[in-house]
Amino acid sequence: MVTEFDAIYYDGKTSARIPVHARASGSVLLIAGANMNLEIALDRISADARIGDVRRTLSLPGGAQLQTDDHAALAVLFPQANRLEVWVHKLEQHRLYVVGAFVTIAVFSWWSMVYGVPLAAKTVTRWMPRQVETVLGDQSLASIDKTVCSPSGLPAGRQQQLRSGFSALTSGLDDRYSYRLEFRDCRRIGPNAFALPGGTIVITDSLIELATDDRQITAVLAHEIGHVRNRHGLRLVLQGAGAAALISTLAGDAVSITALAAALPTLLLETGYSREFETEADTYAFKRLKEIGLSPKYFADMLTRLQTAHSEKQKAADKSGNGRSENNRVFDYLSTHPDTAERIQRALDAQ
Amino acid sequence: MDSSGEGSILPQEADGKRRYPVEFTATAGEYFRIWIVNLALTILTLGIYSAWAKVRKKRYFYGHTRIDGEGFEYRANPVAILKGRIIAVGLFSIYSLTQHFQPLLHLALAFVLAGAIPWLIVRSLMFNAYNSAYRNIRFHFRGNYGEIIKILFWYGLLAALTLGLMYPYMKSRLARFIMGNHRYGETRFEVGNLTRRYYAIYLKGLVLLVPTLIFLGILVAVGAPLLKGSKYAAVIFVILAFYGSLLPIFAYGQSRINNLIWNSTAMGPVHFESRLRARDLMGLYFTNIVAIVCTLGLAAPWAIVRTMRYRASKMTMVSTGALDHFVAAEAAQVSATGEEIGEMFDIDIGW
Repeated sequence: MVTEFDAIYYDGKTSARIPVHARASGSVLLIAGANMNLEIALDRISADARIGDVRRTLSLPGGAQLQTDDHAALAVLFPQANRLEVWVHKLEQHRLYVVGAFVTIAVFSWWSMVYGVPLAAKTVTRWMPRQVETVLGDQSLASIDKTVCSPSGLPAGRQQQLRSGFSALTSGLDDRYSYRLEFRDCRRIGPNAFALPGGTIVITDSLIELATDDRQITAVLAHEIGHVRNRHGLRLVLQGAGAAALISTLAGDAVSITALAAALPTLLLETGYSREFETEADTYAFKRLKEIGLSPKYFADMLTRLQTAHSEKQKAADKSGNGRSENNRVFDYLSTHPDTAERIQRALDAQ
Repeated sequence: MDSSGEGSILPQEADGKRRYPVEFTATAGEYFRIWIVNLALTILTLGIYSAWAKVRKKRYFYGHTRIDGEGFEYRANPVAILKGRIIAVGLFSIYSLTQHFQPLLHLALAFVLAGAIPWLIVRSLMFNAYNSAYRNIRFHFRGNYGEIIKILFWYGLLAALTLGLMYPYMKSRLARFIMGNHRYGETRFEVGNLTRRYYAIYLKGLVLLVPTLIFLGILVAVGAPLLKGSKYAAVIFVILAFYGSLLPIFAYGQSRINNLIWNSTAMGPVHFESRLRARDLMGLYFTNIVAIVCTLGLAAPWAIVRTMRYRASKMTMVSTGALDHFVAAEAAQVSATGEEIGEMFDIDIGW
């Protein structure tokens, strides 16, 4: 077997460029150039991996190098160099594999975002102690108190009344969370209730005012307990981290040029994830309400009242303001809660 | 500020000087294949392949960056990068998790990390230089920890205390530290005093900042009411407005600083001429962003290649002699840990 190629020889001590001719003969490579003649065993030479048409480098014993563009000769002489990267190079050269890579990326990232990341978060959550959620919940409450909410204006007697309705919901639950109901006055958020990880549930004064029946409040609280039991707070944190990791991998190169590419999908994702959690919490609420002898209809009632209150506020804003409802409608499908009408229907169906 | 070059283009042999334009011969099509296969393998191996991907990408770009017909080599071992990455991911996970569960520990870690920045920067520069070679002669970085600590922490503190007045001074010293501690083999890169011209660039940038901020203010004042009530549209709008209006100033700063540093640098018989233009960079960045967003990221390889090609096309090496007489230096191998931690925590190592 004889293979010959032209190359440039660098001794590794200076940058001097020496054009040479290399010839493989048996198990040695003969390198000949001006004032030099070398004979080196082929198995003491290592070839770098091929990448596109980048010039190849052969490392010789003692730190010297041959550089050559003769890819064909090297393919014959060093077929086994860097097996992994030889395979990768093949992938890169075939249009079919390139298309395959594209499809793989598309399918895998879609699957990961929609199923993989939530599944991974759910699995990891299973190993995490409940204590973690308590810490997380306490911190969230502290920050809510610092930023958006003030102590409730509700009379102590009324609070007591609602707490007893709440304990009907939580008594006999086997999930080892210590549930606690907190009342707050949060003007900026309006009528709302939220579950903090670990079992603390915050309800705003305006939600209590909005309700026409305490059973409606109980229904909302059942929904919030659903968030706690399904560990949505922790899962959201983990999903956020997972999605961010995936996006930064995908965006990699693009992100160094534009941060927008990364900001957008993250926004959309968070929306999608919390939608799923709402549905999960709803499902739990319907079940639990029926267990304690209440109809899920009260949940539907409360949602209807919330929706009416929201659209009235919207109308007022539109009237006073600049009639920008067009924009809102366009972005409405991005809203955090699943379509309210759909949720109301589900509650009525669950009766 | 690109006044330090000689101006007219010298014929090749005048004064015995030779002019070597930097060539960048990578093509968008070929890099696209490398990029997409890298990405597919990275996600399929849940990130493990990313170390090999990084090396293939850098080897491709280095190999296609040529001076006097000879390409550069990137020699990092993917396994070393993988080890560094595993350590970095571990640290980053601990750091992120403590943010939610152990705020005090998180704060302590943040301090430790901030204290480690000089180390991370020096190690990263060492790793990168050691693994870069041209004509089989490695580059080296031999920066002194004491000096970078003084620049970052002491001058950094002074910059804060003087409300930014000392900031250009700090940056000029940092640039000089980074460039001036590099060696090609035994030959040192020498950088003149940059401080005075740094101030000139920052001053002009500051003047440019005035119309930029007015423009941004008008944009937000006009745009914000249009988007009231829609969180997502508002976020996207603010990001777009922010990047759009800062683009000119960013392009100005990048081109002038880059030109200044290269034009003030000599290495043995060699000096450099860099002639980047702000308006060219601005056009490139703008079209890159549009193309990347419109193609959902698929244009990223094209954007990167054309940007690098432009940058190379504006760079020339001028030597008083042939490039055959540089001498290699002895230096110990460097681990990739510093570089990978720095990348993970997004610590910017440039000037």
